Amino acid sequence: MSLAEKSSPQEIAAADVLRKLAIVWTEFEGRLEATPLIRKLTRGRFELADFHAFLVNMRQQVKDGSLWMSRAASSIDEEHLELRSSLMNHAVTEHRDFRMLETDYVASGGKLETILNGKKNVGSEALSSWMFHQASQPNPFGLLGAMFIIEGLGSIKAIEWGKLVQTRLGLPNEALKFLLYHGENDAAHMEEFAEMLRMVLPDEAVAERIVMCARVTARLYVLQIEEIAA
Amino acid sequence: MTELRDSFITGTGAFLPGEAIPNDRMEEYIGRVGGRRSSVGQRALRWNGIDTRHYALTPEGEIQHTGASMSAAAVRAALDDAGLGRENLQFLATATTQGDYLVPGHASAVHGELGGDALELASFQSVCAASFMAAKSAHLAVRAGETDCAAVVASEFSSRWFRPSFYEGTALIDAKGRLAMEADFLRWTLSDGAGAVIVEPKPRPGHRNLRIEWIDLTSLAGRFDPCMWAGATAALRGDMVNAWSHQGPRAAHEAGAIALLQDFALLKIVIRAWIGVYLEKVDTGRIVPERVDHLLCHYSARSLREEIVNLLINTRAMIPETKWFTTLPTMGNVGSASIWLMLDAFMKADSAKVGDRILCIVPESGRAMVGFMMLEVV
Repeated sequence: MSLAEKSSPQEIAAADVLRKLAIVWTEFEGRLEATPLIRKLTRGRFELADFHAFLVNMRQQVKDGSLWMSRAASSIDEEHLELRSSLMNHAVTEHRDFRMLETDYVASGGKLETILNGKKNVGSEALSSWMFHQASQPNPFGLLGAMFIIEGLGSIKAIEWGKLVQTRLGLPNEALKFLLYHGENDAAHMEEFAEMLRMVLPDEAVAERIVMCARVTARLYVLQIEEIAA
Repeated sequence: MTELRDSFITGTGAFLPGEAIPNDRMEEYIGRVGGRRSSVGQRALRWNGIDTRHYALTPEGEIQHTGASMSAAAVRAALDDAGLGRENLQFLATATTQGDYLVPGHASAVHGELGGDALELASFQSVCAASFMAAKSAHLAVRAGETDCAAVVASEFSSRWFRPSFYEGTALIDAKGRLAMEADFLRWTLSDGAGAVIVEPKPRPGHRNLRIEWIDLTSLAGRFDPCMWAGATAALRGDMVNAWSHQGPRAAHEAGAIALLQDFALLKIVIRAWIGVYLEKVDTGRIVPERVDHLLCHYSARSLREEIVNLLINTRAMIPETKWFTTLPTMGNVGSASIWLMLDAFMKADSAKVGDRILCIVPESGRAMVGFMMLEVV
């Protein structure tokens, strides 16, 4: 018996969306690999100034992460309370993460005022504005696509980049908490996400919206990384 | 305009040099760098799951065959399997990672070994996916009516590059005399041999043939740095101005720029990129997993990490492991030749029924490439 035959309509629809999201993800990873900052990192030309620029730029957008998630939760109706709970939980888990970027910055020799007074770059501006705009729509289920991209960064890329930064710059773990702290890419993580998809699927329009949101988020995130210059 | 014709694989052939060498005898053949045992060998073998392989040289380092002679032997075997002879051959497409000479192309060397009348040649050099570049060239030549009998052959003679002299006296050896992981791992992965197929516009009557439905190749080199390469050091490989020939052969050798190397951190990302290309083919309906009866993949299912297998299952893209056919554990990883060695063994195992669809996948870590070929048993 094939997988398709033993699956419910929810499971099939979630699997189809997950497949499209995985395609968006791998395309996104290739684009990231070709950005000047990541090229410096993989080609051994990454310096402390690059790491500091990365932290300052990221902080401004990470700070907004739990805010748009909370706003998205408040835009979800009572038909989807489970999903609302999930988003609220996520927002709580992450709403202090930007503090980690600040302590990493100070632990690697930066001045606290500098990172606190940092401005969003062009990509971060676009990304944040896009997220808040989406989160303000009624039942903004498309944001699940954005979450797939952002979560993937936390569970896959953060640890890879963290290890490379540590090898290149010889920084202690205390200066790499943000990158090294995420990093659990286990099956449970993926299952949790698939569960959220099943809460809103099958629905063709929602499925399309989730994938489109993932694509836009991925492109804007790459723009944010492209704009980071030491 | 002439109509396109169908193209069929009418014969397959393999050449594996010498006897099958088990894991505990590998170092007799590839040698001990600086006289010491390798520290990564066991780990590499656990990961790749290879039990035996073949080498075209003796423990003393004496060459028993060449890349060209192994290729010629595989072509003769494939012609014989198709009920044809050298006189029928019109077109020869060759694939290899590193030929016997730097110049001219490997196809000329293979034609030289085969002897005989004039041929049209196509010479492809890449890594594993060179096999499908050659196959696509033959497939299109047959489809376009440019040739009625084409041979596709791929060969590797990797072991000669793994002998100690390629590493000793280079920057790849650290102060304690250990060979760098990025160089040593491949010594425990790749081995020698050749495989070939014959492509014609008509099936051979009374025999099982394989209709080539399509061959797709996708390169993502525009996004990724080299992942498995020879010709530059790991640190400088991103920029082609650092190619070995610019430094001169002696300086390049000392810098460790001549040996075959692999970046394992990048490989993990490249594997996901391959999966992305595959998922896209499933998503667009180019590949329908339920309609694939046999999967011949130049990658071991066991080497795929759990999260990748889960991703394939969760996206309804997994082809169950019971449909996978491989010769990797017994014949070793023979680079570009592996897919033809696998296809030859598959056809000779006699498990394909008329109407079965066979998907062949060849990922190439060289610089993020992956090839797919769909065949139908007729």
